[in-house]
This record gives sequence, C-alpha cells and structure tokens, in this order.
Amino acid sequence: MDFPFYPSNDFGPLMKGMVIGGVGILHVFLAQFAIGGGILLCVFQWLAMTGRSKLAREFVDGYFRWVVLISFVLGALTGVSIWLTTIQISPRTIGLMVQEFHWLWATEWTFFCLEVASGYAFYRYGKVLPDRTRLGLRMSYSIASWMSLFWINGILSWQLTPAGWLEHRTVWSGFFNPSFWPSLLFRTITALAEAGLFACLIINLATNWTREQKQTMLHRAFYFLAPMALMPLVGAWYFAVVPDDSRRWVMGESVAMTMFMTLGVGASMLIGAYAVVMLVNRRNFINAMTSLVLIVLAVGATAGGEFVREGMRKPYTVRNVLYSNSITEADAAEMRCNGGAARDPYPLKNEASIPNEQLRLGAKVYRMQCSICHTEEGANGLLGLVRTWTPSQVRLNIAQLQRTKPFMPPFAGTAAELEALVQWLAWREAGNPTDWEVSAEPEVLKTIQGHLDEVGTVSGIALMQQNEAAARIRHQDERNQKGSR
Amino acid sequence: MFPFEFEPATIFYLFLYGATLVLHVLPMNYVLAGSTYLAGIALWELARGPSLAQRPLVELLRDWMPFALGVTITAAVAPLLFLQVLYQRPFYTANLLLFHRWMAILPVLIVAFYLLYLQKSHGWHKFAPWVRACVSTGILGCFAFVAWSWTENHLLSTRPLEVWKQVYASSDWFYHDPELMPRLAVWYVGAFPVLAAAMLWQLWWGGQFGTTTAVTIGNLAQPDHSPLAPTLRSLCILAFVGLAGSVVAGLGYFLFLDEPVRARLISSRAWPYLGVASVGLLGQAWLWRYVWKSGCVCGGTIASLAGAIVMAVGAATGLREMRRTATVDLAAYLEQHTAATKIGGIGVFLVFAVVCTGGITAVVLAVRRGLAAGNSPK
Repeated sequence: MDFPFYPSNDFGPLMKGMVIGGVGILHVFLAQFAIGGGILLCVFQWLAMTGRSKLAREFVDGYFRWVVLISFVLGALTGVSIWLTTIQISPRTIGLMVQEFHWLWATEWTFFCLEVASGYAFYRYGKVLPDRTRLGLRMSYSIASWMSLFWINGILSWQLTPAGWLEHRTVWSGFFNPSFWPSLLFRTITALAEAGLFACLIINLATNWTREQKQTMLHRAFYFLAPMALMPLVGAWYFAVVPDDSRRWVMGESVAMTMFMTLGVGASMLIGAYAVVMLVNRRNFINAMTSLVLIVLAVGATAGGEFVREGMRKPYTVRNVLYSNSITEADAAEMRCNGGAARDPYPLKNEASIPNEQLRLGAKVYRMQCSICHTEEGANGLLGLVRTWTPSQVRLNIAQLQRTKPFMPPFAGTAAELEALVQWLAWREAGNPTDWEVSAEPEVLKTIQGHLDEVGTVSGIALMQQNEAAARIRHQDERNQKGSR
Repeated sequence: MFPFEFEPATIFYLFLYGATLVLHVLPMNYVLAGSTYLAGIALWELARGPSLAQRPLVELLRDWMPFALGVTITAAVAPLLFLQVLYQRPFYTANLLLFHRWMAILPVLIVAFYLLYLQKSHGWHKFAPWVRACVSTGILGCFAFVAWSWTENHLLSTRPLEVWKQVYASSDWFYHDPELMPRLAVWYVGAFPVLAAAMLWQLWWGGQFGTTTAVTIGNLAQPDHSPLAPTLRSLCILAFVGLAGSVVAGLGYFLFLDEPVRARLISSRAWPYLGVASVGLLGQAWLWRYVWKSGCVCGGTIASLAGAIVMAVGAATGLREMRRTATVDLAAYLEQHTAATKIGGIGVFLVFAVVCTGGITAVVLAVRRGLAAGNSPK
C-alpha cells in the first residue's frame, strides 16, 4: 500500500462536492456574519459612547446575543464540520493543506481563543461593564475574528493560485498568493454587508422601539452595505489574477459555472440596489420580511460565489499539484505503468453481487478516480453521461479524458483498468446482470494503450495552453507569410 | 524514556500535540462531568423534589457550561491540527471508516450546545421537572455519544490494515473493540476530580466563599455549621469518587490491553509517566482530604490542586500516546514529520501565541477592573 489509498465512501445520489459545498456555504455565511457583526458592533458601541445614538447601546447587547447564538455555536461547529467533511471527501487535499500551513492554522487558532475569550466576556458581563471596557472587548473580538479570516483566506486562495509556491515552496510564497488580497477584500466587504442585513432584521424584531427609532437605526445599519459599491472593482481584480482557463470557464465556457456566477452577481446586485434606495432616501423603511428576503439573497450570493471559487480550481484541488481525485501528475504517470485501482487494498462493499473480477476492478477504478465528482446514477451521474456513447467512444474519451474535457484529470491507470471501467459501466447500464463476459481482446487493449500514449498524463490545462500556443504560432506564421507576399 | 526513542521532528510534534491536548482535556472534563452532575441532580429532583443543598453547584454549572463547551471546542482545534501532522493516515482512515456515525458528532454537538443555552436561560426553573430532567439527560447523552465516538475513532486508528479492510467491507455503523468501554471509563471517571477542582476554584474566585484569600469552616464530617459546608462536602465526595474510580478504571483498562501493549506500559520507558501520574493522583487525594478535615480553602490549596491535576492529566496523555505508538508505527511517518519541521511559519505562530495570550489576559483583567468599579453580573 504505497499510494495513499483511503477507504472511499458513497454519498448515494449526492455528489461529494455537493456535500462539502453545502457545509462550506453554510459556514462561510455564518463566519462572515460573525466577522462583519464584530465590526458593526464596534461602530455602534462608539455611536453610543459619543452620544450619536441613544439606542445603539441597547442594540449592541441585543445583536450580540444573536452573534453568540448563531456564530459561536453554528459558526464554530460548521467550521469543524468543514475540516471533517473535507477528510471524508478528499483526505489527501486536507492533508497537504495541513502539512504546508499548519503553523498558520495554529496561528489562526490563537485568534479563535482570543475571539472566544472576548466574545464570552462581553456576552456575560457586557451589560454591567463601563463603556470603555465594552468598546475594548468589542474591538478585541472584531480584530480576532477578522484575523481568523486573514489566515484562512491565504490558505484557501493558495489552492487556486499557488503561483510562486510551486517554484519556491515557502509558506509565505503560498500564503501571499496572487488572489490573496482581492479575495480578502471581497470577503471583508461581504462580511460587512451581511452584518448590515442581519442588523436590519434584528432592529425590526425589537418590540420596544417606535417606527421612527427603527428607521433611524436601519439607516445606520445600511451604511454597512455601502462598501458593496467596490465589489465590481474587487471582483474584476480577482478575475484578473486567476488563471485564464479558470476565468474562461466562469465567463461562459462552463454553463454551470456561468449560471452560478450569474446567481452570485445577480443576488448581490439586487441587494446593492436596495442599499442604494435606502441610503439615498432616508424616509424609506425596510420591514422584517424584506430584511429576511435580502438575507436569503445574500445566502444565494454566497452560494454562487463559493461554487464558482471551488469550481474554478478544476481539474485540481491544489492547482498544478493535486488533481480533484487526489492523484498527482506523477502518480498518474506511475499508475499508467503499474496500475492504480488494482492495488487498492480496500474491498468493494458489494463485491459478492459483481459477477467477475474484471467488473470488480472496474468498480474500484470508478471508486478511486471518478466518485469524487460523479455518482453512478445521481447528481452528475456517470451512467447518464456515457449512455449515448459507443464502447469505442467510451474508451477513447476516458483514455483521453483531459482532451474530452479540459477540467477533467487524466486517466490514472493501465489499459486493462480502463477496459475494466468500460465493462463495469456497460454492466451497470445493462441493469447488473448476473452473468457478464470478460472482455480480454488484445486488440482492444492495444487500441486503448494507443489512446493513452497519445495524450500522456499531462493535464487538460497544459494541453489547452499548448494548443493555444501552437495556434498563435500558426497564426503568426500565416501573417508573416502574407506579409512577405 | 518515551518519546525519546523517536527522531527529533517526531518528538517535537508529539510534545506540541500532548501539550495542546491537555489544554483541551481540562475543559472537556468539566463539560463531561458537569453534564453528568446536572443530569444526576435533575433526575434526583424529578424523583425526590428540589435539592437545595446542591443548588450552588447546579447554578454554577448551568451558568458556565456553554462557555466551557465553547472553550473545549476551540481548544480541540490545535491538538486536532498536530494530530494530522503526526498520524495523518491512520486518523483520516478511521474518520472515513466510521463515516456517517463519526460525522454525527457535529449535529449532536450543535444540539447539545443549544440545550446548554436553554439550561442556562432565566426561565429554566419554570419548566416542569420532567422537562428539565429530559433536557439535562439529553445533554449528557449527546456528550456521551461524542466521547464514545472519539474513543471508537481513536481505537480504530490504532488498528492494522486488515482490521480497516474488515470494517470497510462490513459497512457496520459501529466499531466494536474490546478496549472501547474500559478506555471510555478511564476518561469518564477521570473527569470528575477535574470538575471538582474547577468548581472549587470558580466558587473561591467568584467570591462565593465571601473572600478570595482563605476560608476555614472546620471539619466537613461534622454536622453543618456553615452554609458552605454542604457545597464543599459535595465537591470533596465528587473528587474522592473520581480519584478512586480513576485508579480502578485505569487498572481495569490495563487488564484489557494486549500483552505487548501492557509490557510497554509498565516498561522502564513508562516509569516517569506512571510516577508523575501517581504523584498527581495522590497529591489531589491528599489535598481533598485536607479540605475535608479542615474545611479550609485558600489560593495555595487551589494552586496545588491545579498543579496535581496538570501532572495527572499530562502523565495520562503521555501514557495514552505510549499505548497508541505500541500499535501505530509512528516512525513510518518520520519523513512527513521532518518535512513539516522545515516549513515556515513557526515564528509567526509564536509571536501571535504571545500576543493573543496577552490579549486574553487583558480581557480578563479589564473585566475584573470593570466589575470592581462597582457593578457585578446579574
């Protein structure tokens, strides 16, 4: 057992990406609420202390109760959930992240401790503490929570744009990667906007305030949405620094990605438009239901944004290092010679119901290489995707997977393993019959080997870049030839 | 002596893991034993009516349990991090093998957390006794499930590939291991002395004894001559039972271990840990006996108790790793440990560890100053 083989789990009709995505979106939304909420509470505490708002003090205590109940419980535990869910989905990815950035993660932990200490101190004693101490606790909480974003943002953005780290392999070249600053700025703006929207809801829930009092507070809360005006610029900055291929998928080459991007942008624009209306006309009022609708839109925007951020990395989980199925380019090359799934020590859970050894191998190939992003018949189901292909088309498309779709990793295994996968797909499509003939024609294996050798184990991204470079040279040559004529 | 048979890189991460694990274990003990105490009292009150003698401890626990859980979860992050540097493959494998069952600890913890806030709420006493009993035992059930799952996960991670393959093929929801219940018993019973000492410190620090210097109320075995006597007596009994139970559970667990593991745990490499653990346990017993005989509580008693607890828990953590390394070939991961030591960022960690520790100290001092200014929490 040399390759890091791990037991693989099946989430039924759910893609593994949907599971981690769901947990991730929930956590990001709650964490951003806590970060923005910390800053918002500092400002409101200051408004109370300077006499600018008589209601601010009461609001701070009420709002913070929500921060504690939502963020300290759900936020903290969904954070742990992401960690444990990532282990379920891709242990090798989280292992690499921990290995490379454990000191920065440990640094983030020191800020968690400060966040919890200042947060609970305020929650428990805030009401009876002098204003200066209250502000001090609020500031300590805000700085700690924002710093936790600072640290985790570097690790997450490294996955898409490791850039200098690929060459130097130093922690800082990975941490301060090209998408670090735009990503940090974008998330900070989002956190402020979320905090403002939650404030609107909580202000509306206050039972002892008049409509005029609520209106005054609502307008103060909406100032936290004003930085959204910078979102287009920061978003453009982000897209300017991400790899070309990632950007192109979002901008139209992958319909799903474009749709999620549109969802994120559209929801943000609606929230932004509402913010403009509220900030321009101080007589406007927003009720609890509308606040809730805007929060739901913010969830939609977060979901769209996170899906795009995760999807843009394909075919990698760490760009140019680890493919989405936890196999490196070097692993793929080695497995072309020595086989991959055939060495997987973990048995199949339904081994007895599979009629022959070749099909069992095929099931293992699916489990090891495909099941991270595909299901058998559920979301992104593999059977549905290949249903209309002929057997030779299946062989060619899988053997040259990175050519079939550049966001797919190369096939990592021998011709025999590939044929086993083809047979397993056909057997599954046929409804799992009890008898199935072993496919062992040397000609078939020879053809598959030819397909595999033709493309090698280079990534689809690299192929695309090679093709584009070749096309540019051809175009240049043609222009030169025309010029010389 | 363990862990000096390993290379420096492995020793370094073992030390970090052990130290941060102790930081997690202490509040975790408070939560586990505290939820048991609250559930026990709730059931008692359901059967026998209000228990006024236990009220100060119950109120204290109700008030602080959500914070203690928050601290426990936060403190778990660091050992979980270093655990992944040390034992990445076995730890991840155990997670994957237990799958849904393992992941269920997260929603269970969320439920427990909200129930703790419900238990802390002002309207708690308005609930019928049976509702309070259900909530308190529900909380205990949640923590017991989490403790069980962690123990299951840990034991599975120490088993060889053959066991992993069997567990994977079986698709069973539960992993049955002969060590599971004895091991869980050690953790569980050992939590009570920590809880007793922590509550003693809380009562003293919070001024519940009327002073934060020293209080002496005489022999607790005598009839009540002070309103504090029942509370102190309860804490002493809790500690005595926990300490005696820890020794019994520890010996019981030892008997359940395989022979090679047992030999390792009584070899000369383990003597320092066994010695420190014994001193820690005996020290606690002596200190609690002193409190029982004299009814005297002062800063020195509490600091000595804290020291004895850290010795016992620290030594137990060392023995825990000795048991693990008896069946997990830690040396096989040396390359990974050495690579980890060469990765930058430790300086930043140390700087911010100091900064944030200073920040936490400043928070505590600021709150104390603020409260001393004339206010006190409701």
